[in-house]
Amino acid sequence: MRYDATLKVNGRAYPVAIEPGRNLLSVLRSEVGLTGAKEGCDDSECGACMVLLDGQPVNSCSYLALQADGREIVTIEGLAGEDGDLHPLQQAFLDQGGVQCGFCTPGMLISAKALLDRNPSPDEDEIRLALSGNLCRCTGYSGIVRAVQAVAEQR
Amino acid sequence: MARLIKTEAVVEGRTEVRWTLVEEDSTPEWPADQPPGVVGEPTTRLTAGARLSGSARYTSDMQLPRQLEATVLRSPHANARLTSISLDAARAVPGVRAVIGPGDCPQFDGEAVLHDEPPYGGAAVAAIAAETREAADEAMAALDPQWEPLGFVVDLDQSLENQTFQDDPVEYERGDAETALAAAELTITSDYLAPAQLHNSMEPHCAVADWRPDGLTLWSSTQGIYQARSQLCGSFGLDQEHVRVICHFMGGGFGSKFGCGPEGVIAAELSRRAGRPVRLVLSRRDENLSTGYRTPARFSFTIGAGCDGRLQAVEASAVMGLGTGGWAYPVLEPVKSVYACEHQHLMTLPMRLNLGPAAAFRAPGVMEGTWAFEQALDELAEAAGLDPLELRRRNHTDVDPSTGRPYTSKRLLESYDLAAELAGWDARDELRSDGRVRRGMGCASQYWWGGGGPPAYADVRIGSDAKPVLTVGMQDLGTGVTTACAVVLAERLGIRPDQVTVRTGDTDLAGHGPFSGGSMTLASVAPAVRSAGHHVRTQLLELAADMFEIAASDLELTEGEVRSTDGTLRRPIHDVTEKLGNAWVTGSGSRAPNPDGMAVNTFGCQIAQVAVDTLTGLITVERVVAVHDIGRVVNPMGARSQVLGGILQGIGFALSEERVVDPTTGTVVNAGLEDYKIPTLADLPEVECRFVGEPDPELALGIKGLGEPPIIPTPGAIGNAVAHALGLRLREAPYTPRRVLEALQ
Ligand code: FES
Ligand code: FES
Repeated sequence: MRYDATLKVNGRAYPVAIEPGRNLLSVLRSEVGLTGAKEGCDDSECGACMVLLDGQPVNSCSYLALQADGREIVTIEGLAGEDGDLHPLQQAFLDQGGVQCGFCTPGMLISAKALLDRNPSPDEDEIRLALSGNLCRCTGYSGIVRAVQAVAEQR
Repeated sequence: MARLIKTEAVVEGRTEVRWTLVEEDSTPEWPADQPPGVVGEPTTRLTAGARLSGSARYTSDMQLPRQLEATVLRSPHANARLTSISLDAARAVPGVRAVIGPGDCPQFDGEAVLHDEPPYGGAAVAAIAAETREAADEAMAALDPQWEPLGFVVDLDQSLENQTFQDDPVEYERGDAETALAAAELTITSDYLAPAQLHNSMEPHCAVADWRPDGLTLWSSTQGIYQARSQLCGSFGLDQEHVRVICHFMGGGFGSKFGCGPEGVIAAELSRRAGRPVRLVLSRRDENLSTGYRTPARFSFTIGAGCDGRLQAVEASAVMGLGTGGWAYPVLEPVKSVYACEHQHLMTLPMRLNLGPAAAFRAPGVMEGTWAFEQALDELAEAAGLDPLELRRRNHTDVDPSTGRPYTSKRLLESYDLAAELAGWDARDELRSDGRVRRGMGCASQYWWGGGGPPAYADVRIGSDAKPVLTVGMQDLGTGVTTACAVVLAERLGIRPDQVTVRTGDTDLAGHGPFSGGSMTLASVAPAVRSAGHHVRTQLLELAADMFEIAASDLELTEGEVRSTDGTLRRPIHDVTEKLGNAWVTGSGSRAPNPDGMAVNTFGCQIAQVAVDTLTGLITVERVVAVHDIGRVVNPMGARSQVLGGILQGIGFALSEERVVDPTTGTVVNAGLEDYKIPTLADLPEVECRFVGEPDPELALGIKGLGEPPIIPTPGAIGNAVAHALGLRLREAPYTPRRVLEALQ
């Protein structure tokens, strides 16, 4: 049995018909066609699938798509400006070497954005705590911390 | 003119002799007195924009028209016989398009892919392709497999008793260790037990296969597109022209993703049967059961030395748990090759266990061997009453101790000195205390190969827009080698690296190239890139010479301009290229071999400082100083990122990462990331990272590799730091709070 829902993703409405058991990540990646959010574990363990739901970071692999009906979803694809300019956080990840393979990066950026939205000038410990649910196997994290710090300092 | 030449290359400890095709190369070396422009300048990653914006398409993101989703049935038993399975019931589930069981799938590299006697928990038995994941899951439930559980062995000692080897034991002898040990003034014996470390690349193993009448295309998350192509040709009896392997973006591999993997063969077979594209992405759990791990190993050392700490003899054995695949990784290489020591007798025993196949994991063998041996050396230093770094200096060697060959370059002594200075080594005893939190500092040496070599090929073309396109036969598993290649080309053409478009990861684009592993990629491909760039440069200068009526030898390409050496002419390169219209100037390059008769190695030293909370048993790595000799550094920004990443994985090995097998069921109990603990941001220490290598004078462009070196000394340095802090040594990693508290009691 499928149910109709409207997912509002990055400011656009996507009508979908989905089974109640489907998670938000799989609907974003398949029906909506936005593959920026990644599946690293499908079990709320890695943060690669993180999106903002009404401004709050959630692991979309473990969130039912129907629960997101009518709510504001922001994925990594919605971070850059209208003109395609990188979001300051994206630019800082680039400048500070916060990216290697990039598989964790969409989730990291969403997590970092959520942090700065609720606390514009976090100290290093707050950054570490806020991002410790996002696993990265490549970078050794230090470029990521510096990137978030750099943006916090600009504000 | 092209020539076929015979070369020797050391790939992760194994010497391979190969025939390779190389072009004659007249590209001049960089003059020693002249800095090579953008090479060595920090450069941000070229492909990062796509990775940052979510537009990068990884294999697991592929969505072809009419694509099916695949899932794999895996054995829940450590060893079992499949007595029945209802393939037809699965086929009857709505939306199911193909179902295969044992006997239905071609082999992968000569091994069964779907097993009727699955030899480990997680071994693949059947596979399904369906319209949706949900339909595939429903069909999975309909398979209703029945098993007859069989006896299993997951314990190293038991497999040693049974003498079941997965690979041939390796014995190495030089001199007469037995006699030398008997005569040594100092002897120590010690044992260490290393855990199985799981790769956990963030992108799991995955493949998308599109089988069509005119050939097979496979998108694969792979470290070796050409290897994947050969494997698929072998499995399906296809010729190279009909197989294309693509890997544009991949989410890490760390040694676990060479070739197309069984997942590539399964996806291709399902696609062949269904007549539709098929995507197979492993779950995190299946990933951790079936795609490899760093081998657990038990080390025993007997070391004989003079009172001055000079090594005289080592007897060592390493018992490795390979599971059902993999080979005898060079776990005793650090004993054999890092220090001068005349007499050695080393035994490596690669045991078969009912566990998934082992795979190379960043410095396979060498990292865990270094962890163990560098600690045994600290025990020797203590027995000799010597400073650990001094002991290492005294045992320094200027020639490869196993072959007598000289090194192309070696800056290990400098690494010790700089690391000691940066870490405050001389004052390390002042860190120690009797309080609840105890601090200590430890060091370890790093040794690895990484000289690269042929085959590697590159093509460059430049058209009217003056924006070159570089095509390289390789794949970028996330290390940044693409950016480094652009830097090398930009130097030749006098432009910025971000003006270069680099095409990689497609077997149809470029002839051939190295896999991404063994710290070989950049050292292999960079000379080919530079040579291709040089051909283009020469032609552009000749065109400019015709246009401006100045001899080509009086012209140069710098900062996006054609300039005459006397300063009278400065014109954008574009002024020359725009005359090309729709034509291109092209150039090709290949990689020549390294010099014969020399050892090519990377070296380094790391010093770790730890704090051990004696109440909770929690260890914090506070600081790591990493000094490495990797020859010329092409992109310091990329290099630093590699070092940081390696150190964190080393911290994981030392403190938290361990595959746990239930001895009563023989199955892995922590295959998810909740129970298998990789380091998080909270575990990040302060890191000081330096490179001491000058460009290696014997190597093309002076470049050595960096992928593996940074992980190698980290766990050993941490082990030695913990021993320094506590005054006692933990013999089994990871040093979890439980093990720390047990040791303190
Ligand atoms: S995929 Fe959602 S947390 Fe890992
Ligand atoms: S950059 Fe590869 S997982 Fe973070």
